[in-house]
Amino acid sequence: MSEAPEIGYEAHHRALVRRLSSEITPSRPLWPVSARLTLWMLIEVGILAWVMSHTRNNFVTKLTHPAYAIEIVFFATAAIICAALALKSAIPGRTQSAKEATMATAFVLIGTVVLIMAQPMATSDSLGDFARNGWRCAIATVRFGTLPWLGLWWLVRRGASMSGWLSGLLVGAGALLFSFAVMRIACPIDEPLHLLTWHLFPALAVIALSTLAGIKWLRFRPRPRY
Amino acid sequence: MKTLDDTQRLERSGLRARLMARLQQGDTEACQELFDSIGPSLTYFLRRRVADPQELEDVYQEVFMAIFEARHTYEPGRPFEPWLFAIARNIAVDYSRRRWTRAHWEELVAEPPERPVDTSNAAAPELSSILANLPPDQREAFSMLKLDGLSVEAAAARAGVSVGALKVRAHRAYKSLKRLIAG
Repeated sequence: MSEAPEIGYEAHHRALVRRLSSEITPSRPLWPVSARLTLWMLIEVGILAWVMSHTRNNFVTKLTHPAYAIEIVFFATAAIICAALALKSAIPGRTQSAKEATMATAFVLIGTVVLIMAQPMATSDSLGDFARNGWRCAIATVRFGTLPWLGLWWLVRRGASMSGWLSGLLVGAGALLFSFAVMRIACPIDEPLHLLTWHLFPALAVIALSTLAGIKWLRFRPRPRY
Repeated sequence: MKTLDDTQRLERSGLRARLMARLQQGDTEACQELFDSIGPSLTYFLRRRVADPQELEDVYQEVFMAIFEARHTYEPGRPFEPWLFAIARNIAVDYSRRRWTRAHWEELVAEPPERPVDTSNAAAPELSSILANLPPDQREAFSMLKLDGLSVEAAAARAGVSVGALKVRAHRAYKSLKRLIAG
Protein backbone atom coordinates (compact mmCIF):
# COMPACT_ATOMS: atom_id res chain seq x y z
CA MET A 1 0.00 0.00 0.00
CA SER A 2 1.38 3.42 -0.86
CA GLU A 3 1.86 5.55 2.23
CA ALA A 4 1.94 8.99 0.65
CA PRO A 5 -0.76 10.49 -1.52
CA GLU A 6 -0.02 10.46 -5.23
CA ILE A 7 1.65 13.68 -6.33
CA GLY A 8 -1.25 14.39 -8.73
CA TYR A 9 -3.68 14.27 -5.84
CA GLU A 10 -1.59 16.21 -3.36
CA ALA A 11 -2.83 19.69 -4.31
CA HIS A 12 -6.39 18.49 -4.65
CA HIS A 13 -6.19 16.76 -1.27
CA ARG A 14 -4.69 19.84 0.42
CA ALA A 15 -7.40 22.13 -0.94
CA LEU A 16 -10.12 19.70 0.09
CA VAL A 17 -8.79 19.30 3.63
CA ARG A 18 -8.40 23.07 3.99
CA ARG A 19 -11.99 23.67 2.93
CA LEU A 20 -13.47 20.97 5.13
CA SER A 21 -11.42 21.82 8.21
CA SER A 22 -12.44 25.46 7.88
CA GLU A 23 -16.09 24.39 8.05
CA ILE A 24 -15.77 22.09 11.01
CA THR A 25 -18.08 22.54 13.98
CA PRO A 26 -18.66 20.29 17.00
CA SER A 27 -21.14 17.54 16.20
CA ARG A 28 -23.21 15.64 18.71
CA PRO A 29 -22.54 11.90 18.27
CA LEU A 30 -25.53 9.62 17.97
CA TRP A 31 -26.76 8.05 21.18
CA PRO A 32 -25.82 4.38 21.54
CA VAL A 33 -28.14 1.88 19.88
CA SER A 34 -29.32 0.61 23.29
CA ALA A 35 -30.34 4.13 24.40
CA ARG A 36 -32.21 4.84 21.17
CA LEU A 37 -33.87 1.43 21.28
CA THR A 38 -35.03 2.12 24.85
CA LEU A 39 -36.48 5.44 23.71
CA TRP A 40 -38.38 3.70 20.91
CA MET A 41 -39.59 0.98 23.27
CA LEU A 42 -41.03 3.64 25.57
CA ILE A 43 -43.35 4.62 22.72
CA GLU A 44 -44.34 0.98 22.27
CA VAL A 45 -44.89 0.47 25.99
CA GLY A 46 -47.08 3.59 26.04
CA ILE A 47 -49.20 2.23 23.16
CA LEU A 48 -49.37 -1.20 24.80
CA ALA A 49 -50.46 0.32 28.11
CA TRP A 50 -53.16 2.37 26.40
CA VAL A 51 -54.47 -0.68 24.49
CA MET A 52 -54.48 -2.84 27.63
CA SER A 53 -56.50 -0.28 29.51
CA HIS A 54 -59.02 0.30 26.70
CA THR A 55 -59.63 -3.12 25.17
CA ARG A 56 -62.70 -5.22 25.86
CA ASN A 57 -60.78 -8.33 24.93
CA ASN A 58 -60.21 -10.63 27.92
CA PHE A 59 -56.52 -10.99 27.12
CA VAL A 60 -55.48 -11.80 30.72
CA THR A 61 -57.40 -15.08 30.63
CA LYS A 62 -56.26 -15.79 27.08
CA LEU A 63 -52.63 -15.38 28.06
CA THR A 64 -52.89 -18.66 29.98
CA HIS A 65 -53.21 -20.40 26.58
CA PRO A 66 -49.66 -21.09 25.38
CA ALA A 67 -50.45 -20.49 21.68
CA TYR A 68 -51.85 -17.01 22.37
CA ALA A 69 -48.92 -16.06 24.61
CA ILE A 70 -46.41 -17.41 22.07
CA GLU A 71 -47.94 -15.34 19.28
CA ILE A 72 -47.71 -12.10 21.25
CA VAL A 73 -44.26 -12.72 22.71
CA PHE A 74 -42.77 -13.96 19.44
CA PHE A 75 -44.07 -11.08 17.31
CA ALA A 76 -43.08 -8.49 19.92
CA THR A 77 -39.59 -10.00 20.25
CA ALA A 78 -39.15 -10.09 16.45
CA ALA A 79 -40.21 -6.43 16.34
CA ILE A 80 -37.66 -5.40 18.97
CA ILE A 81 -34.88 -7.30 17.17
CA CYS A 82 -35.83 -5.62 13.88
CA ALA A 83 -35.86 -2.19 15.55
CA ALA A 84 -32.39 -2.82 17.00
CA LEU A 85 -31.13 -3.92 13.58
CA ALA A 86 -32.70 -0.84 11.97
CA LEU A 87 -30.84 1.43 14.38
CA LYS A 88 -27.60 -0.44 13.72
CA SER A 89 -28.14 -0.17 9.98
CA ALA A 90 -27.87 3.62 10.29
CA ILE A 91 -24.29 3.41 11.55
CA PRO A 92 -21.71 2.89 8.78
CA GLY A 93 -19.61 -0.22 9.32
CA ARG A 94 -21.92 -1.80 11.90
CA THR A 95 -22.53 -5.13 10.20
CA GLN A 96 -25.97 -6.64 10.46
CA SER A 97 -25.93 -9.79 12.51
CA ALA A 98 -27.20 -12.73 10.45
CA LYS A 99 -27.94 -14.55 13.69
CA GLU A 100 -30.28 -11.78 14.90
CA ALA A 101 -31.97 -11.50 11.50
CA THR A 102 -32.50 -15.27 11.41
CA MET A 103 -33.92 -15.21 14.92
CA ALA A 104 -36.40 -12.45 14.03
CA THR A 105 -37.50 -14.32 10.89
CA ALA A 106 -37.86 -17.56 12.86
CA PHE A 107 -39.97 -15.82 15.53
CA VAL A 108 -42.31 -14.43 12.87
CA LEU A 109 -42.60 -17.75 11.05
CA ILE A 110 -43.19 -19.77 14.22
CA GLY A 111 -45.67 -17.15 15.47
CA THR A 112 -47.56 -17.35 12.16
CA VAL A 113 -47.62 -21.15 12.17
CA VAL A 114 -48.87 -21.18 15.79
CA LEU A 115 -51.53 -18.63 14.85
CA ILE A 116 -52.75 -20.79 11.95
CA MET A 117 -52.65 -24.04 13.94
CA ALA A 118 -54.21 -22.70 17.14
CA GLN A 119 -57.78 -22.62 15.89
CA PRO A 120 -59.72 -23.93 12.90
CA MET A 121 -60.39 -21.40 10.15
CA ALA A 122 -63.98 -20.17 9.99
CA THR A 123 -64.85 -20.21 6.32
CA SER A 124 -68.63 -20.19 6.82
CA ASP A 125 -68.90 -16.39 7.34
CA SER A 126 -70.17 -14.38 4.38
CA LEU A 127 -67.65 -12.17 2.62
CA GLY A 128 -69.60 -9.11 3.76
CA ASP A 129 -69.40 -10.06 7.44
CA PHE A 130 -65.77 -10.99 7.05
CA ALA A 131 -64.93 -7.57 5.59
CA ARG A 132 -67.21 -5.66 7.98
CA ASN A 133 -65.50 -7.22 11.01
CA GLY A 134 -62.06 -6.92 9.49
CA TRP A 135 -61.46 -3.54 7.93
CA ARG A 136 -61.41 -1.75 11.29
CA CYS A 137 -58.67 -4.13 12.44
CA ALA A 138 -56.61 -3.37 9.33
CA ILE A 139 -56.87 0.35 10.05
CA ALA A 140 -56.07 -0.16 13.72
CA THR A 141 -53.00 -2.25 12.83
CA VAL A 142 -51.68 0.57 10.68
CA ARG A 143 -52.69 3.20 13.26
CA PHE A 144 -50.89 1.48 16.14
CA GLY A 145 -47.82 1.14 13.94
CA THR A 146 -47.73 4.75 12.73
CA LEU A 147 -46.19 6.51 15.72
CA PRO A 148 -43.52 3.83 16.35
CA TRP A 149 -42.76 3.85 12.61
CA LEU A 150 -42.33 7.62 12.57
CA GLY A 151 -40.18 7.50 15.70
CA LEU A 152 -37.95 4.73 14.40
CA TRP A 153 -37.73 6.36 10.96
CA TRP A 154 -36.56 9.59 12.56
CA LEU A 155 -33.99 7.79 14.71
CA VAL A 156 -32.62 5.95 11.65
CA ARG A 157 -32.69 9.11 9.53
CA ARG A 158 -30.47 10.82 12.10
CA GLY A 159 -27.78 8.29 11.24
CA ALA A 160 -26.26 7.45 7.87
CA SER A 161 -27.74 4.31 6.40
CA MET A 162 -25.63 2.62 3.75
CA SER A 163 -28.56 0.52 2.55
CA GLY A 164 -31.83 2.40 2.24
CA TRP A 165 -34.04 -0.57 1.42
CA LEU A 166 -32.72 -2.61 4.34
CA SER A 167 -33.19 0.23 6.80
CA GLY A 168 -36.69 0.87 5.44
CA LEU A 169 -37.55 -2.82 5.72
CA LEU A 170 -36.27 -3.04 9.30
CA VAL A 171 -38.00 0.17 10.37
CA GLY A 172 -41.27 -1.13 8.92
CA ALA A 173 -40.82 -4.58 10.45
CA GLY A 174 -39.96 -3.13 13.87
CA ALA A 175 -43.03 -0.91 13.98
CA LEU A 176 -45.61 -3.14 12.30
CA LEU A 177 -44.70 -6.47 13.90
CA PHE A 178 -45.10 -4.82 17.28
CA SER A 179 -48.38 -3.38 16.09
CA PHE A 180 -49.47 -6.92 15.18
CA ALA A 181 -48.65 -8.07 18.72
CA VAL A 182 -50.56 -5.11 20.17
CA MET A 183 -53.54 -5.94 17.99
CA ARG A 184 -53.61 -9.49 19.35
CA ILE A 185 -54.37 -7.84 22.69
CA ALA A 186 -56.75 -5.23 21.32
CA CYS A 187 -58.85 -7.46 19.07
CA PRO A 188 -61.14 -10.12 20.59
CA ILE A 189 -61.23 -12.20 17.39
CA ASP A 190 -58.82 -15.17 17.38
CA GLU A 191 -59.90 -16.74 14.11
CA PRO A 192 -56.80 -17.39 11.92
CA LEU A 193 -58.25 -16.19 8.60
CA HIS A 194 -59.26 -12.88 10.20
CA LEU A 195 -55.81 -12.48 11.78
CA LEU A 196 -53.96 -13.29 8.57
CA THR A 197 -56.13 -11.09 6.35
CA TRP A 198 -56.85 -8.08 8.54
CA HIS A 199 -53.88 -8.04 10.95
CA LEU A 200 -50.86 -9.65 9.30
CA PHE A 201 -51.46 -8.70 5.68
CA PRO A 202 -51.82 -4.93 6.36
CA ALA A 203 -48.66 -5.11 8.50
CA LEU A 204 -46.77 -6.79 5.65
CA ALA A 205 -48.13 -4.25 3.15
CA VAL A 206 -46.87 -1.34 5.27
CA ILE A 207 -43.50 -3.08 5.69
CA ALA A 208 -43.27 -3.30 1.88
CA LEU A 209 -44.13 0.40 1.55
CA SER A 210 -41.56 1.23 4.20
CA THR A 211 -38.93 -0.70 2.22
CA LEU A 212 -39.75 1.34 -0.89
CA ALA A 213 -39.66 4.58 1.10
CA GLY A 214 -36.28 3.53 2.49
CA ILE A 215 -34.85 3.14 -1.02
CA LYS A 216 -35.92 6.68 -1.80
CA TRP A 217 -35.29 8.55 1.43
CA LEU A 218 -33.15 6.61 3.90
CA ARG A 219 -29.93 5.97 2.01
CA PHE A 220 -27.21 8.36 3.07
CA ARG A 221 -25.98 10.66 0.33
CA PRO A 222 -23.67 13.59 1.02
CA ARG A 223 -25.05 16.93 -0.09
CA PRO A 224 -23.04 18.45 -2.93
CA ARG A 225 -21.08 21.40 -1.52
CA TYR A 226 -18.65 22.59 -4.13
CA MET B 1 5.77 0.81 -1.12
CA LYS B 2 5.68 0.35 2.59
CA THR B 3 3.81 -2.39 4.40
CA LEU B 4 2.71 -2.18 8.02
CA ASP B 5 2.83 -5.00 10.49
CA ASP B 6 -0.12 -5.76 12.77
CA THR B 7 1.17 -3.68 15.68
CA GLN B 8 1.73 -0.61 13.51
CA ARG B 9 -1.67 -1.10 11.94
CA LEU B 10 -3.31 -1.29 15.37
CA GLU B 11 -1.47 1.83 16.53
CA ARG B 12 -2.50 3.70 13.41
CA SER B 13 -6.09 2.57 13.84
CA GLY B 14 -6.10 3.71 17.47
CA LEU B 15 -4.64 7.07 16.51
CA ARG B 16 -7.25 7.56 13.80
CA ALA B 17 -10.05 6.67 16.23
CA ARG B 18 -8.75 9.27 18.70
CA LEU B 19 -8.42 11.89 15.96
CA MET B 20 -11.97 11.14 14.83
CA ALA B 21 -13.27 11.61 18.37
CA ARG B 22 -11.50 15.00 18.48
CA LEU B 23 -12.85 15.88 15.05
CA GLN B 24 -16.37 15.30 16.38
CA GLN B 25 -15.61 17.94 19.01
CA GLY B 26 -14.71 20.41 16.27
CA ASP B 27 -10.91 20.18 16.48
CA THR B 28 -9.49 21.59 13.22
CA GLU B 29 -6.00 20.18 13.72
CA ALA B 30 -7.36 16.70 14.35
CA CYS B 31 -9.42 17.04 11.18
CA GLN B 32 -6.38 17.88 9.08
CA GLU B 33 -4.25 15.18 10.69
CA LEU B 34 -6.94 12.53 10.26
CA PHE B 35 -7.65 13.42 6.63
CA ASP B 36 -3.92 13.36 5.85
CA SER B 37 -3.68 9.96 7.50
CA ILE B 38 -6.59 8.39 5.63
CA GLY B 39 -5.82 9.98 2.23
CA PRO B 40 -3.41 7.28 1.00
CA SER B 41 -5.58 4.41 2.27
CA LEU B 42 -8.61 5.88 0.56
CA THR B 43 -6.74 6.48 -2.68
CA TYR B 44 -5.62 2.84 -2.65
CA PHE B 45 -9.14 1.64 -1.83
CA LEU B 46 -10.81 3.77 -4.51
CA ARG B 47 -8.27 3.11 -7.23
CA ARG B 48 -9.37 -0.53 -7.28
CA ARG B 49 -12.94 0.61 -7.95
CA VAL B 50 -12.54 3.71 -10.11
CA ALA B 51 -10.38 3.35 -13.21
CA ASP B 52 -10.48 6.87 -14.64
CA PRO B 53 -8.09 9.27 -12.84
CA GLN B 54 -10.40 12.27 -13.26
CA GLU B 55 -13.35 10.33 -11.91
CA LEU B 56 -11.17 9.08 -9.09
CA GLU B 57 -10.56 12.68 -7.99
CA ASP B 58 -14.30 13.37 -7.93
CA VAL B 59 -15.09 10.20 -5.97
CA TYR B 60 -12.23 10.91 -3.57
CA GLN B 61 -13.67 14.35 -2.86
CA GLU B 62 -17.15 12.91 -2.44
CA VAL B 63 -15.90 10.38 0.10
CA PHE B 64 -14.28 13.11 2.18
CA MET B 65 -17.46 15.16 2.13
CA ALA B 66 -19.46 12.09 3.17
CA ILE B 67 -17.07 11.43 6.06
CA PHE B 68 -17.43 15.04 7.08
CA GLU B 69 -21.22 14.96 6.97
CA ALA B 70 -21.57 11.60 8.67
CA ARG B 71 -19.04 12.39 11.39
CA HIS B 72 -21.71 12.32 14.10
CA THR B 73 -22.42 8.64 13.32
CA TYR B 74 -18.95 7.46 14.34
CA GLU B 75 -19.10 5.84 17.78
CA PRO B 76 -16.02 6.82 19.80
CA GLY B 77 -14.24 3.77 21.13
CA ARG B 78 -15.16 1.57 18.18
CA PRO B 79 -12.69 0.72 15.37
CA PHE B 80 -12.49 3.56 12.90
CA GLU B 81 -11.68 1.72 9.66
CA PRO B 82 -14.92 -0.28 9.27
CA TRP B 83 -16.83 3.00 9.58
CA LEU B 84 -14.55 4.76 7.11
CA PHE B 85 -14.55 2.06 4.45
CA ALA B 86 -18.30 1.46 4.73
CA ILE B 87 -18.78 5.10 3.71
CA ALA B 88 -16.14 4.88 0.97
CA ARG B 89 -17.70 1.68 -0.41
CA ASN B 90 -21.13 3.32 -0.41
CA ILE B 91 -19.86 6.27 -2.45
CA ALA B 92 -17.96 3.96 -4.82
CA VAL B 93 -21.11 1.89 -5.37
CA ASP B 94 -23.07 5.08 -6.09
CA TYR B 95 -20.39 6.07 -8.57
CA SER B 96 -20.53 2.67 -10.33
CA ARG B 97 -24.30 2.93 -10.54
CA ARG B 98 -24.13 6.43 -12.02
CA ARG B 99 -21.42 5.37 -14.44
CA TRP B 100 -23.44 2.38 -15.62
CA THR B 101 -26.50 4.57 -16.18
CA ARG B 102 -24.44 7.12 -18.07
CA ALA B 103 -22.74 4.47 -20.21
CA HIS B 104 -26.13 2.96 -20.99
CA TRP B 105 -27.48 6.35 -21.97
CA GLU B 106 -24.45 7.05 -24.14
CA GLU B 107 -24.88 3.75 -25.92
CA LEU B 108 -28.42 4.79 -26.71
CA VAL B 109 -27.46 8.20 -28.04
CA ALA B 110 -24.48 6.75 -29.91
CA GLU B 111 -26.90 4.94 -32.26
CA PRO B 112 -26.75 6.54 -35.76
CA PRO B 113 -29.86 8.55 -36.68
CA GLU B 114 -32.32 6.76 -38.94
CA ARG B 115 -32.87 9.76 -41.21
CA PRO B 116 -29.89 11.30 -43.02
CA VAL B 117 -28.88 14.55 -41.36
CA ASP B 118 -28.22 17.80 -43.18
CA THR B 119 -24.51 17.77 -43.94
CA SER B 120 -24.28 21.23 -45.47
CA ASN B 121 -21.28 23.20 -44.30
CA ALA B 122 -23.24 26.12 -42.91
CA ALA B 123 -22.71 25.08 -39.30
CA ALA B 124 -19.20 23.69 -39.73
CA PRO B 125 -17.13 26.78 -38.86
CA GLU B 126 -19.16 27.35 -35.74
CA LEU B 127 -18.74 23.73 -34.62
CA SER B 128 -14.99 23.79 -35.15
CA SER B 129 -14.66 27.01 -33.18
CA ILE B 130 -16.69 25.51 -30.34
CA LEU B 131 -14.69 22.29 -30.45
CA ALA B 132 -11.52 24.33 -30.10
CA ASN B 133 -12.70 25.32 -26.61
CA LEU B 134 -12.85 21.73 -25.42
CA PRO B 135 -9.95 20.08 -23.55
CA PRO B 136 -7.87 17.97 -25.99
CA ASP B 137 -8.96 14.56 -24.65
CA GLN B 138 -12.66 15.49 -24.83
CA ARG B 139 -12.27 16.99 -28.32
CA GLU B 140 -10.51 13.86 -29.51
CA ALA B 141 -13.23 11.61 -28.05
CA PHE B 142 -16.01 13.68 -29.62
CA SER B 143 -14.31 13.88 -33.01
CA MET B 144 -13.63 10.17 -33.22
CA LEU B 145 -17.16 9.20 -32.22
CA LYS B 146 -19.25 11.85 -33.90
CA LEU B 147 -17.17 13.19 -36.79
CA ASP B 148 -15.07 10.17 -37.81
CA GLY B 149 -17.90 7.76 -36.98
CA LEU B 150 -15.71 5.30 -35.09
CA SER B 151 -17.24 2.79 -32.71
CA VAL B 152 -16.63 3.33 -29.00
CA GLU B 153 -14.25 0.36 -28.95
CA ALA B 154 -12.25 1.56 -31.97
CA ALA B 155 -12.06 5.09 -30.59
CA ALA B 156 -10.88 3.79 -27.21
CA ALA B 157 -8.18 1.70 -28.90
CA ARG B 158 -7.02 4.67 -30.97
CA ALA B 159 -6.90 6.95 -27.92
CA GLY B 160 -5.14 4.25 -25.90
CA VAL B 161 -7.67 4.31 -23.06
CA SER B 162 -10.32 1.93 -21.77
CA VAL B 163 -13.79 1.93 -23.29
CA GLY B 164 -15.19 3.27 -20.00
CA ALA B 165 -12.69 6.14 -19.91
CA LEU B 166 -13.47 7.02 -23.51
CA LYS B 167 -17.20 7.08 -22.74
CA VAL B 168 -16.58 9.35 -19.78
CA ARG B 169 -14.56 11.73 -21.95
CA ALA B 170 -17.26 11.74 -24.60
CA HIS B 171 -19.94 12.37 -21.99
CA ARG B 172 -17.99 15.31 -20.62
CA ALA B 173 -17.52 16.60 -24.15
CA TYR B 174 -21.30 16.45 -24.73
CA LYS B 175 -21.92 18.34 -21.52
CA SER B 176 -19.30 20.99 -22.34
CA LEU B 177 -20.65 21.39 -25.87
CA LYS B 178 -24.18 21.76 -24.59
CA ARG B 179 -23.00 24.47 -22.22
CA LEU B 180 -20.94 26.24 -24.90
CA ILE B 181 -23.74 26.14 -27.48
CA ALA B 182 -26.25 27.40 -24.94
CA GLY B 183 -23.91 30.32 -24.52
